[in-house]
Amino acid sequence: MLRIEKTTENNCLTYTLSGRLDTLTAPELELDLNGALDGVTELIFDLIDLDYLSSAGLRVLLTAQKRMNTQGAMRVRNVNETIREIFDVTGFSDILTIE
Amino acid sequence: MSISLIGRIDSSNAAAVEETLVAQIRDGEPVVLDADKLEYISSAGLRVLLRIRKAHPEMRLVNVHEEFYDILDMTGFLEMIPVERAYHTISVEGCEVVGRGANGTLYHYNRDTVVKVYNDANALADIMRERENARLALVLGIPTAISYAIVKVGDSYGSVFELLNARSFSKILAQEPEKFDWCVDEFTKMLRRIHETEVPAGKLKDMRETALSWADFLKDYLPEQAAKKLHALIEAVPHDSHMIHGDYHTGNLELQDGEVLLIDMDTLAVGYPIFELGSIYNALIGFSEMDHGVISRFHGFDYETAKRFWSAFLADYLDTTSKAKVEEVERKARIIGYTRLVRRSIRRGGLETEQGRAEIENWKSQLLSLLETTDTLLFSRDDLEIEASAENLAEVQSFVERRLEAADCSPRALMQLGLAIEEVFINIASYAYAPGTGNATIRVEIDRAAKLATITFIDSGVPYNPLKKRDPDITLSASERQIGGLGVFLTKKLTDDVRYDRRDGKNILMLIKHL
Repeated sequence: MLRIEKTTENNCLTYTLSGRLDTLTAPELELDLNGALDGVTELIFDLIDLDYLSSAGLRVLLTAQKRMNTQGAMRVRNVNETIREIFDVTGFSDILTIE
Repeated sequence: MSISLIGRIDSSNAAAVEETLVAQIRDGEPVVLDADKLEYISSAGLRVLLRIRKAHPEMRLVNVHEEFYDILDMTGFLEMIPVERAYHTISVEGCEVVGRGANGTLYHYNRDTVVKVYNDANALADIMRERENARLALVLGIPTAISYAIVKVGDSYGSVFELLNARSFSKILAQEPEKFDWCVDEFTKMLRRIHETEVPAGKLKDMRETALSWADFLKDYLPEQAAKKLHALIEAVPHDSHMIHGDYHTGNLELQDGEVLLIDMDTLAVGYPIFELGSIYNALIGFSEMDHGVISRFHGFDYETAKRFWSAFLADYLDTTSKAKVEEVERKARIIGYTRLVRRSIRRGGLETEQGRAEIENWKSQLLSLLETTDTLLFSRDDLEIEASAENLAEVQSFVERRLEAADCSPRALMQLGLAIEEVFINIASYAYAPGTGNATIRVEIDRAAKLATITFIDSGVPYNPLKKRDPDITLSASERQIGGLGVFLTKKLTDDVRYDRRDGKNILMLIKHL
């Protein structure tokens, strides 16, 4: 299961994700993002407690990155080793700004 | 033709006896010599018997008492002439019935003794076989009770066993419902032990042959196509030299001094375990499907308990938490179960009563619908067959994870395989049967020596070779990157090898990974 926590500070929106971001949970995050990005200039994904990320999750991150490229910036932080590896093999390490 | 031998046969009267016997015996008729009243026989008398036996090879000696039996034994006659001993006669009137098996009824004769009375008056051969079976099982490491005497009970025979303070699992389940889980555990453990026991060739009958004879019997009662399919399904079951009990149910497990004992060994056989599961289904559910009272009458616990017991046992036996997996094997077991029930009921005159016809109709219609949707009676503890839909993803993943964890897979490989499985399974769920639905089979094979896992996905959907798909260009920037196309790529990156094959109208995709 995926738990989504959101905090907003001025025009900066932070998503803290924990659990699994996979085929079953990615649509939930996508839906949430769709309605939340208006006027946001800085989007942060905090993956500190995310244990699992599949291509469905990668697609959501890529969609968000594409959108943020037109209206501001996006950063990903607290990426654990296994997820880092997935970012690496898929070339996402070069696309995303990972802290 | 039965002839009584009375008194003494020695050199003084041997010639006369022989003359009388020859005069009485008609050619071509089986000769039974009753030795009940025989007091003494000398070697001259034995030679008479031998000559009669030569002229009439089907001659038998019955009611042979201890002393005479010893003489026959010492002189080697036991190997030349079929001999039936005289048996002590007992009555089981008023004795408590402990259980009813396929071939007989078990009575508590006194506190420490049970007697299994056979239904068939000519059961002596069955009794001997059961004794042999029990000895064999014991030697092969199955805890069982061996009969120490054979007795005459009315017109039939019985086997006497010593069972001290024993209670059957049926009784325990009926009286102590809180022991349900313990019973399931022990029931499964014993069955595994039986099914893991390899039996030397030729010692026990082959259950597959028996099942084929059931299918042959049903030819006259099923539509031609269905009868053919049933026969083909059973025929396709490979020979298996592992033991099966043949009538395994909660009445045939006894708890004695903390030890679980298997009894009722006359149906012991070798074969593929689906045959056993079919008969367990019958004992717990099949027999009682129409009349739920049957189970209480035979086992003392109710139909709901029996159903719960069956499901819990099967999941335990298959070592799975997957409902789909349990249901898949249950369907196969029911095919065997119903085949047996329909035949049994017809042979016992079921078609002649209204209730019998209703039961046969119920079992038959279920059998027919199961035959339509089943392509094999084989199952594997390493296979999961499940509807290919996104909702089943977690089940597929946990199925594979359980197998991998059992093989000491590293957490990293576990996570990577989990991902690859998701990509493959979701692909099948989304495209293989679109816009309809269908099943996928997932098989996990582990080579412990090489520390290698092979996970195979099989679907019967549209031909699709994911390996033909071009890899995405991962050097492109975010705005140039396509949203899709990552799944297959990830699958390849996260495993050591991916192989695709299209065979028999099926897509077969194998993921190979070092653990």
